[in-house]
Amino acid sequence: MNNQTEIEDICEKIGQMKKIALELNQNEPPYPFLKRNTERILASIKMLELNVSDIAGSVN
Amino acid sequence: MEKIQYWNPFLETLPREKIRKLQLRKFQKIFRWAYEHSVFHRSLYDRAGVLPKDIRSFEDIRRVPKVEKAMMRDIQSRDPFPYGDALCVPLDQVSVFRQTSGTTGKPVYQPDTWQDWEWWAESWAFILWAQGYRPRDRVFIPFGYNIFVAFWAGHYAAEKIGCEVVPGGVLDTQARILKIQELQATAMMATPTYVLGMADTARQKMDIDPSQLSINKITCAGEPGASIPSTKKRMETAWDAKVYDHSGATEIGAWSYECQAQPGGMHVNEAFFLVEIEDLDTGEIIEEPGRRGKMIITALDRQAQPCVRFDSKDVIEWDDAPCACGRTFRLIKGGVVGRSDDITKVKGVLLAPAAIEEVVRSIDGLGDEYEVIVDKLGDRDRIKLKVELMPDAQERSKTIKTHLKDQLRLKTNLAYLTEFYDYGRLPRYEVKAKRFKDLRKKH
Repeated sequence: MNNQTEIEDICEKIGQMKKIALELNQNEPPYPFLKRNTERILASIKMLELNVSDIAGSVN
Repeated sequence: MEKIQYWNPFLETLPREKIRKLQLRKFQKIFRWAYEHSVFHRSLYDRAGVLPKDIRSFEDIRRVPKVEKAMMRDIQSRDPFPYGDALCVPLDQVSVFRQTSGTTGKPVYQPDTWQDWEWWAESWAFILWAQGYRPRDRVFIPFGYNIFVAFWAGHYAAEKIGCEVVPGGVLDTQARILKIQELQATAMMATPTYVLGMADTARQKMDIDPSQLSINKITCAGEPGASIPSTKKRMETAWDAKVYDHSGATEIGAWSYECQAQPGGMHVNEAFFLVEIEDLDTGEIIEEPGRRGKMIITALDRQAQPCVRFDSKDVIEWDDAPCACGRTFRLIKGGVVGRSDDITKVKGVLLAPAAIEEVVRSIDGLGDEYEVIVDKLGDRDRIKLKVELMPDAQERSKTIKTHLKDQLRLKTNLAYLTEFYDYGRLPRYEVKAKRFKDLRKKH
């Protein structure tokens, strides 16, 4: 798998995780356990984006 | 398998033109973020007539006003308490407080969100992985966990990459050495001053040879020592370990690191930071290697209190030689070689205190500690250097003194009054040392 394909594949999966984490984060009612833990998950997902998603455009 | 040598092979080996493209895009983003979320930044940029839509090239970035530490101190007397109006997020999103050490004046408070804190740890993960930290390592951190950022992020990054971390918190130096021995720790993080101080304590007070302990790598921060060849050599010999430098700051982040190839400089993490070097006299941006200037830095992803074109006062120079490690992140030669506010004229000659350290620690028979005092005798500058003679070097004192004076003149173009003290007489420091004292302003 070349870099470009690999990055695109990883980016797509990161996007899927983010979508699910955001849905849980915005759940009503906002249960504290759900809100705070998904905040942390979203911060970790952001690190994945900084590592890969941000360069998708540069590499392509 | 080859990719394992990098924390992130996509970023760390990205071709130069793509790194620059990424940096420009990220600068546009963080500049817009600061403009739209911080009263201070919006006002600063409005006054300069630079708006987010104006940033289309690196030339445009150079028109963005710089931020100095003094400005941050002023801001923090404003609302919201205690950070002031550079804060870009609601207070309830701030998850951690840190402050600068106050070495150069009133401390600056630094708010971080949880995402910012993840970013700190991520920046440090690049550092530690590049320096050979792996999940099998047991990392001892002899640091008084407190309001200073120091090795906090190193701790979290070591956990993140899978190491076992031993927090050496409130233990005293001897207890820390015993704990390293007991647990067979393989790595540690400390300031160069403390790395040498620990070795000294082990030998002098505990009859322990630190080179026989299990530490095989040490990451330094807080002072330039790990990039000063003679200081690095003393640390590596004392501990029989590889010593790596890294540079960071509370208000910036962990922006550069030495890799295992030890190319005589540090890589700038250019995916997370934009580093510009500005000529000290003309303010012109220096692109070519071999010319020193002060660093203007932007943290491209830090959100709560952005760091956009921050005038760090660190003096650095580019090195365009390719690194054997294969990283495409640019190198700075010799690490941070000084601070623009430390570089001073003595007898009309420009002096960087790090040059004195390089001489003192290159001479066998002299202790690790030294002190430099500049004052005036009448209208003339006078520079005094205090050093310690090791107990086993007493018989060679005359030769050492002559060699010291010759080397000082050769490396700094200055003549010094030298004072020799018995070993153990000069002050010892635990964290950041203050060995250079310029008393001329008091005259």
